[in-house]
Amino acid sequence: MKENLTRYAYWQFRDFLRERAIALLLVGLLLGFMMIAPVRAMMGPNIDAVAARRIVIMVLPQIVFIAAFIVFNGIISTDRKMGYYRFLFSKPVGIPAYYAQHFVVYFVGFVAVFAVLLGVFSVAVVPFNPIWTLAYCALVYLSLGGIAFFISSLFRYDWAILAAVYLGSALANAVWADRTGWRMVIRDMLPPMHKLSPAMNDLINFGTLDMRAVAWLLGYSALFFVAGMVVLWRRPIG
Amino acid sequence: MIELNNATKIYRSLFGHSVRAVEEFSLQVAEGEVLGIAGPNGAGKSTLLSLLLGYLRPTSGRVLIRGLEPRSFVEKNGIGYLSELMTIKPNWKAEEALIRFATLAAIPPADVSSRVNAVIDELGIGEHRDKKIKAMSKGNLQRLGVAQALLRDEQVLILDEPTHGLDPVWTQRFRGIVEGLRRPGRTIIIASHNLDELQRLADRVAIIDHGRLQRLVQTGYDQATDTGGTYRISVVAGAQHVKEMFPAAVDNGEGEFELTFPSIIELNAAIGRLIGGGVLVAGVVPARSVLEQQFREAVGDKS
Repeated sequence: MKENLTRYAYWQFRDFLRERAIALLLVGLLLGFMMIAPVRAMMGPNIDAVAARRIVIMVLPQIVFIAAFIVFNGIISTDRKMGYYRFLFSKPVGIPAYYAQHFVVYFVGFVAVFAVLLGVFSVAVVPFNPIWTLAYCALVYLSLGGIAFFISSLFRYDWAILAAVYLGSALANAVWADRTGWRMVIRDMLPPMHKLSPAMNDLINFGTLDMRAVAWLLGYSALFFVAGMVVLWRRPIG
Repeated sequence: MIELNNATKIYRSLFGHSVRAVEEFSLQVAEGEVLGIAGPNGAGKSTLLSLLLGYLRPTSGRVLIRGLEPRSFVEKNGIGYLSELMTIKPNWKAEEALIRFATLAAIPPADVSSRVNAVIDELGIGEHRDKKIKAMSKGNLQRLGVAQALLRDEQVLILDEPTHGLDPVWTQRFRGIVEGLRRPGRTIIIASHNLDELQRLADRVAIIDHGRLQRLVQTGYDQATDTGGTYRISVVAGAQHVKEMFPAAVDNGEGEFELTFPSIIELNAAIGRLIGGGVLVAGVVPARSVLEQQFREAVGDKS
């Protein structure tokens, strides 16, 4: 990695704070409040650790998924669509390296935002050890990020395609869960989002992970991340 | 230094429709040269510049900068580039944008501030440094674009419509800035609709139309290639003698005549005859510059 690009990480993080972090915090707080408020109303103010875990397991996947979608939206395509690449990449910078760093910086920001949200949860609802929950947030980002990165490297209007892929994956795994043949092939080719829920249960309840599921999730994502890097390297950005 | 060898760029749509934006374009630009690129709208200028920056790859043919593919050259050395479209994020502030570009341009951290201040002073945008991009006027944005292109001592500068949106004072100053940028080893390419500007700044001007190089015009005076031209001669006394001496002269009225000469030597001889014949000459200007004449011949009246 070139030194000038490493220094630019500071500015990429500032972009994350300006363009994504506030949206993530607002969405997280809004959804969290909408989902937790009725539970608190039912259970009263004395929520124990077991109940807190249940609440987190119920609320977190939806917030993390929406947050990941907000973060990935336009991660590469916006610069192409808006023409920002023109000034950025006339400088001595490798395009794939720039976006790989962008992905990593946004990952750090994503986890930081969830650390804040879980801190708010700990103060407002019940003290809660955030380590495994943050590990789950990191796993979601890394699992879904590869395909998002790839789609954004290819298409200018990536969010609609990304939403369709996630939806297709969710539907395929719900409808064709036990099917074999071509349906199984299609189901297995789509992002393995169905493996995220069991991972969250394992992490938050037991602090463990099914390493095969994690390997599948991260391997699938890494494959598409590399494909996205190849697209950035081979395909002209203009 | 910069070599385009039969470079062709064809845009193809999903439905099989294709547009040949640049076609079999061959040209060599030397180190130390200022090359102008002129052409009507849609002639292929922007595509040509995108090829030089490696934002596009030629469909066939080759583009090399110092022996490297453009993208490799840019990633290794960088290019001072001013885009015709000022595509900078609207929520960045002017100074912030320059610091970001200076960082990406690999200016050492200790020098970033002084370089940024230097270009801010040179382009006179000091009072706008804290303004957001979206709040800046077109002219100030253009100056910011020029400033970011000058942050580093680049070997190659590509300026696309550099005076677009500038007021006459800054247009004049910009010409001075470009003159100051000339140095051995640096290549400057300026794409512009403004032929007068190219005539003043460039050593040669490539006239492009339909994606093809139509003509390559030397802008300075060269006796060997002097083909004369049409001149407007203004006289304040003895106007009646002009027609007598030059029956082909076109009388524009109010003491102005248009005369065509096969060379500048003939023009000078004619002025001598007029003065000797009692005509008081107040001014002589080309009706069209050599470049304008060549441009019109190459592309017609499309621009």
